[in-house]
Amino acid sequence: MKRALLSVLMLGGLLGGCVTANVDEMTFDAPVAGMVDGSIVILGRRHAPDYDTEPDFIDCIGNHISRGSESISVIQERQFVDALYPWFEPRTAPLSIESVGRLMMLPSVANKLEDLDLNYMIWIDGRTQDTNSSGSMTCGVGPTGAGCFGFGTWGTESEYEATIWNFDDGAEVGKMSALTSGQSYMPAVVVPIPIIAPVQDTACDSLGTQLLQYLSAGS
Amino acid sequence: MVGRLLDSMTLGRKAQRLLTLIILLVLAACTSREVIVEGTFPTPLVDPVPVSVGVLFTQEFKEHELVDDATGRGEVSWRVSTGWAQVEFWSTLFPAFFQNVVFIESYEDLQAYDVDAVLIPQVADVQYAIPLYTNVKVYEIWMRYNLALVEPEQIVDAENAAISLENVQPFAEWPLTAYGKTPTAFMQSDIDAVNLAAVMALRDAGANFITSFLRVPGVMDWIENPEEAQ
Repeated sequence: MKRALLSVLMLGGLLGGCVTANVDEMTFDAPVAGMVDGSIVILGRRHAPDYDTEPDFIDCIGNHISRGSESISVIQERQFVDALYPWFEPRTAPLSIESVGRLMMLPSVANKLEDLDLNYMIWIDGRTQDTNSSGSMTCGVGPTGAGCFGFGTWGTESEYEATIWNFDDGAEVGKMSALTSGQSYMPAVVVPIPIIAPVQDTACDSLGTQLLQYLSAGS
Repeated sequence: MVGRLLDSMTLGRKAQRLLTLIILLVLAACTSREVIVEGTFPTPLVDPVPVSVGVLFTQEFKEHELVDDATGRGEVSWRVSTGWAQVEFWSTLFPAFFQNVVFIESYEDLQAYDVDAVLIPQVADVQYAIPLYTNVKVYEIWMRYNLALVEPEQIVDAENAAISLENVQPFAEWPLTAYGKTPTAFMQSDIDAVNLAAVMALRDAGANFITSFLRVPGVMDWIENPEEAQ
């Protein structure tokens, strides 16, 4: 029994690693020196009709950057959006760095952004979604117990694009994207065992590493 | 039926009662959902409009709820109470948006405070959509308001020493729409998702109000000359 469980876990580990990642980077103006005592904010785009960029993905990127560099202070998305309400809501969020210039004409907004000592604003647009699925599973309950039997599999795909705005120069300075995909499996012999491909986590690591390299360049 | 099913199983009396309760609770949960919208709302970052405004929340506004009864098999009845959240949200927004705000609760308040105008928000419509009906993996809420700015004297019923909204002629009146959505998420219940979509819709209503208020016909004239514009 123990050996069977170990085999399933090993298989899970192997299959869990079945994720392909592809990261593209396009930088217009790479920083020559890393950030010193500055702050950045990472925001998700939420104006598409059929999806929102997931808040937990934004947190994941922020944590990745915070862990990677002590000199970069990452402002939490919720804290930033609340502090500047209503100027970063889906209806009002600036779609270009030029729109931020117009927003800065409001004294209260300009003062708040100055207080935050913001160097970079990074917008993330994209989502993770399940693609194909196949297989079947039957579950039943009886007086003697319950159980499932079958096999299911589904694909997951993450596609995110990061756009970097430099607040000191008032310019869009780079774009990066991450495209990852993977296949998850769920065999069930009495107990279903989900073997989930960490597709979104891989996208977070890929994009977070690229952003960290950009922000820490030269330091 | 539940009782017969349980009798066929070899369960103790206590276990049968517990199982009956669980089954009934599950069945009840399958047929109706009740959401009392709750959330925390930020104070808007705006330069206040230099006017003194009285805000009147009607009883209907304070107790607003959307009721949608199931009409077919597989459908679920929904009751979404937005009243508490409406009052909480607008009570945060208005005092930050206008230089001076008083909340009018009674005829005596109207007599006691000298305000340039009274703002009366009303919820005209609230609609919702959930993935079960749309096959899109987002929960959505739409809200439509009617807002009116009236002279304080217009709503005074001196004869009965009361506030009256009959035959009121607002000097500015406009509709306001709002939309909020939240995607489906792992381990998130329908109720949590609808609540979050409603909070997003309220935030959107505030954003729409702040960015459109000065373009409402009659408002700029009133702000430039609060005593005479009416």
